[in-house]
Amino acid sequence: MTRVAGAAGPPGPPPPDRDATEPRAPSGALHGRMLQVSRLATIGEMAAGIAHELNQPLTAIANYAQACDRLLGKPGADPRDLRTALREIAAQAVRAGEIIRRVRTLARSQPVERSAADINSVIGEILELMQTDARVHRARLLLELTDGLPQVSIDRVQIQHVILNLVRNGLEALSGSGSAGGEVRICSGRTGGDVEVAVCDNGPGVLPQELERIFDPFFSTKPSGTGLGLAISNTVVRAHGGTLAYRPNRPTGACFYFLLPHETAE
Amino acid sequence: MREPTPTVFVVDDDEAVRNSLRFLLRSVGLPTQTLASATEFLATYPPSQPGCLVLDVRMPAMSGLELQQQLNLRGATLPVIFVTGHGDIPMAVEAMQHGAFDFLQKPFRDQDLIDRIQKALAKDAKTRAALKEHDRIRRRFETLTPREREVLALMTQGKPNKVMAADLGVSQRTVEIHRARVMEKSGAASLAQLVRMVMDLAPEERTGG
Repeated sequence: MTRVAGAAGPPGPPPPDRDATEPRAPSGALHGRMLQVSRLATIGEMAAGIAHELNQPLTAIANYAQACDRLLGKPGADPRDLRTALREIAAQAVRAGEIIRRVRTLARSQPVERSAADINSVIGEILELMQTDARVHRARLLLELTDGLPQVSIDRVQIQHVILNLVRNGLEALSGSGSAGGEVRICSGRTGGDVEVAVCDNGPGVLPQELERIFDPFFSTKPSGTGLGLAISNTVVRAHGGTLAYRPNRPTGACFYFLLPHETAE
Repeated sequence: MREPTPTVFVVDDDEAVRNSLRFLLRSVGLPTQTLASATEFLATYPPSQPGCLVLDVRMPAMSGLELQQQLNLRGATLPVIFVTGHGDIPMAVEAMQHGAFDFLQKPFRDQDLIDRIQKALAKDAKTRAALKEHDRIRRRFETLTPREREVLALMTQGKPNKVMAADLGVSQRTVEIHRARVMEKSGAASLAQLVRMVMDLAPEERTGG
C-alpha cells in the first residue's frame, strides 16, 4: 500500500495567501517540531562551521611559520621571538586536532535519545521544511511512503538531519544540472527485515570515478561544499546500527538510501 | 606637522589569527594594530589615520561586510582587504562589489598578503594626497573676492582682457589687476594650471557658494 503526495498539492484546503504584516499562525505541534529541528544546526551548516573553525588554527599556523622563516632570514633574529611563534604553532596544531576529534565523535557525543518511532511520521514532521527547500530550488518533492512499517528505535532529530541532508544534496544536484522538471523522491519501505528510507533525484547522478569517495570526509563535488555532509550522515546511520549507501536512480539521477534495523520485541 | 605613520589594522574575532597576523606583519616591519571586533574598530579608528584594513568577512555581532558598509556611509577611504574562510566566496564577491580593495582566502601565502597590503597602502597614500591637494586648492580659492571669481570664470573661458573689461563694465587696467590677483592667490604658474585647478573643484567650490 503506497501513498503518493506531490509537493504542489498537500491534502486539505489550499494554504491561505501569506501576508507580510500578518504571519500565518503555525499549526502547533508541527511548528514546534520544526523549530526544534531548525534550532539545532543542520548537518550542512554544522559541516560549514567545522570547516570554518578548522581554517582558523591553520591560518594562524601558516602565519607564524612564514613569519619564523622571514625572521630566520634576517641577521640577528631574536630567539625569543622565534620561540613565541613556535609555541603558538604547537598550540594551534593541538586546537586543530581537537576540532577534528569533535567531528569524529559528533554522532556519539551528542546525547542520544532513542525511542521507538514510525519512520513515516519522522519524515512527515520535516515535510514542510523540505518543501520550502524544494520551492527555493524550483523542484518537486514527492513522497512514496509505505504504510504499516515496523517501528525503528532512533534519535528522531538525528535521523531527520540525515534525511534533510540527503534531500538538500538532491536539490543541489538538480539545480546544478540546470534542467527543468527536477524531482526529489523520498520513499520508505521494507528491505529484508530492515526499514529502508531512500532519497532519489533525477539529476545527473554520481560519476563512477567519484563513487568510492563520496562518503569520505572532505570529499565534495560541489564548488563550495565542505565534504562533510555525507560523512556525518553515514556516521549517524551507523551509530544506529544501520547502513547508508548509494545506488544509481532509474532512469537517471542519484539514490541515497539507508537501512535501519526494526525495533525487536523484548 | 608630521604625517602619522601608515598602520595596518587587522580586525578578526579569532584571537590566534589576530595575533599571528600581527606577528607576521611586524616581522616585515609593518606597524600593525589588531582589534577583536568591528565595533571596537569603529570606536577607535581616527579617519585621519592613514593605512589599510585587513578584515575577516565572517564575524559575530557585526560582520566584515557590515563594517565595510559603515565605513562607506562615513565616507572613509581606507582600503579594505577581506580575508575569507572556506565557502565564503559569495560574500567576498559582494565585498568587491561594494568597493573592497582585494580579498584573500584563508590560509594564505604571506607574500600574497604582504603584496596586497603594500598596494593598499600605496593606494591610500595616493587617495590622501589627492584629497589634501584638493583641500589646499579649495582653501586658496576661498580667499577670492566675488569680483575676482567673476574674472576667474571669464579667464577660464579664454576671454581676452578687452572682452572681459566690456563684459564687466570696468577698465582693462582693472581687469589686469584682478587677473594678477587671481594668479597670485591660486598659486597657479600658468593659465593652463589654473584651468586644471578649477576643473578639480566641485562647481559650488568654484563659485564660492
